[in-house]
Amino acid sequence: MSFLEALRLAVRRLRTNPLRTALTTLGVVIGVASLVALIGVGEGTQTAITNQIAGLGTNLLSVNAGSSTVGGVRGVAGSASTLTVADAAAIATLPGVAAVAPEMSVSNVVVVNGRTNTTTTMTGTTPAEASVRNYQIQTGAFLTDLSVTKGLRVAVLGPTTVTDLNATPASIIGQTITINGIPFTVIGVTQPKGGSGFTNPDDAIFAPITAVQSRFTGAAALRTIGVSLEDPSQLAYVESQITALLRYRHELASSASDDFSMVSQDQLLTVASTTTATIRNFLIGIAAIALVVGGIGIANTMLVSVRERVREIGTRKAIGARRRDITRQFLVEAVIVTLGGAVVGVLLGIAVTGLVGSAVNVPASPTLAGIALAFVSALVVGVVAGYWPARQASRLDPVEALRYE
Amino acid sequence: MAEQTVAPQPPLIEGRGITRLYSMGDSEVAALRGVDFSIQMGENVAIIGPSGSGKSTLLHILGLLDRPTAGQYLFAGVDTDTLDDDRLALLRNRAIGFIFQSFNLVSGESALENVAAPLVYAGVKRKERLERAEESLARVGLSDRAHHDPSQLSGGQRQRVAIARALVTRPAVILADEPTGNLDSRSSADVFTLLQELQAEGLTLVTITHDQRIADRAARVLRVEDGMLVEHDGVAPSYLDGAPTQGPTTAPGNPPTGAVVPAAEAAGQARTSIGLAALGLVAEDEQ
Repeated sequence: MSFLEALRLAVRRLRTNPLRTALTTLGVVIGVASLVALIGVGEGTQTAITNQIAGLGTNLLSVNAGSSTVGGVRGVAGSASTLTVADAAAIATLPGVAAVAPEMSVSNVVVVNGRTNTTTTMTGTTPAEASVRNYQIQTGAFLTDLSVTKGLRVAVLGPTTVTDLNATPASIIGQTITINGIPFTVIGVTQPKGGSGFTNPDDAIFAPITAVQSRFTGAAALRTIGVSLEDPSQLAYVESQITALLRYRHELASSASDDFSMVSQDQLLTVASTTTATIRNFLIGIAAIALVVGGIGIANTMLVSVRERVREIGTRKAIGARRRDITRQFLVEAVIVTLGGAVVGVLLGIAVTGLVGSAVNVPASPTLAGIALAFVSALVVGVVAGYWPARQASRLDPVEALRYE
Repeated sequence: MAEQTVAPQPPLIEGRGITRLYSMGDSEVAALRGVDFSIQMGENVAIIGPSGSGKSTLLHILGLLDRPTAGQYLFAGVDTDTLDDDRLALLRNRAIGFIFQSFNLVSGESALENVAAPLVYAGVKRKERLERAEESLARVGLSDRAHHDPSQLSGGQRQRVAIARALVTRPAVILADEPTGNLDSRSSADVFTLLQELQAEGLTLVTITHDQRIADRAARVLRVEDGMLVEHDGVAPSYLDGAPTQGPTTAPGNPPTGAVVPAAEAAGQARTSIGLAALGLVAEDEQ
């Protein structure tokens, strides 16, 4: 029997019991749709987090003050005061470095605007911060060289901070707020970067590093220096240059370990990708279970179908069907159900991916790879689920089969 | 083989010491105990016997649906024991037509599709298949029912569709298992007449039956009892259904149909060669 004949026969058979065919197909539809939708959500999550990290600054290399070792106890990174504004200035002269922003963080500052207050982190920095950390200005302006030179008490707020202060970007420009009781004038609001999970880059205050040093920290050392590269491919080279420079400037003996550390954006991305890949695989695993259940449904229906058609199988053998003809007939039937289910499932999956995404607050969209994976998995499940019943059918003894009531 | 040198054609069907045992739990039950038989091309043979005598088992073996436990079964001179399952399927497809008591049509498929089904397994193209199925349906007088589902047909019509299906591959032999067993007397007469006509055209016909007329009309009657075979030569025994009081009867006015009109004999020759062509194909494949 040719494949075309098997196809014709299977289609005719499936149409004689449309409800059963539809219910069997539904199992596959749900499995495939889940795969498409959850892969879409997984990929969406990955893209969102990746974009978020990329939004923190492109080609960014973060130099952190090394941990201090006091009495054999290693403190957290940045707890040792080793980086200085002068270090930042020296790094800025290295080849391959595009911009350098010294960063002096003050955690848990209380910000008051009229009767509203909030708590956030203030970063004392320079105008280079905007380009290094990839901040865009929404309203007003970012810090200027002049404000740094003069140590002006001006501040640029993140949009979340503005909202927390019960204000709008337009209304807060030019207003005076107090930070830990010290008045600052708001000169700008940054564009939202969006973010969740990691620290929110939109909940921030930027002020001239000179003002922060004079009013809050004194001439203490920097916690971090943000460095942006001219070319990301030069990362290793720039890293080695900075290492050599800082070791020289800090007068470290060749036996001493670095008193600073560097994290590149690439490394952060790698860590995040690993994490989100785990999430995505977990989602795919759940969807795969749904598909396997659909496959069991097919196997079950096919077994029932074989049972019901024992006499037909006997008759077909009597009129000349070989084992492989019978196998093919039932296998093709199973594969058609799966294929139909896969097509509907892919369409349904495409339709619901966005809905599922918005339900979990992730910008999800169906991916071609996800669709292909779902489709191929469905076919594999169909063939596997259909093979055993088909083989059973083909192995029936024709005499027994013809006698079967 | 000896037969082949003596006769130009071997018997179509030949059994030597055919035994068929079934295991029932620990014990074995013999359905056939070493029966010998020989049926020539174009013969009209009835197999009779009480229920459970082994006649169905015999028909299954004749139809290559079952293999004997012991003994040798030759189909057109080929020892069927040497054929694998696929070759047996091919032989069933090309050389044998089955007619069952319960018709065994596939519902959900039209009469025409049912008739064409054997040609699907013979690899005949769809267009030719349907043409031949239409011819076959026309032969049994059901051209106007071609597109009906079997469930829309009467019992007699269903059995005629089944006969058309058996004829469509132009087989050498038709094996009929109680072909009128599920029919009322009128349908039964139609089917009976049809089978006799086909046989008169040269078809080899082997029928398991309780039907007095079929047994009467057969050129030979083989009686199976307790797994043994007794030759009756046109004499139907008294225990046949519907004729318990008639006693043994020959069939006056119904001469054995092996010797009918010359035209029928010519047609028989044609069929014979067609049947052997199918077998030759099998034998070729074997080498």
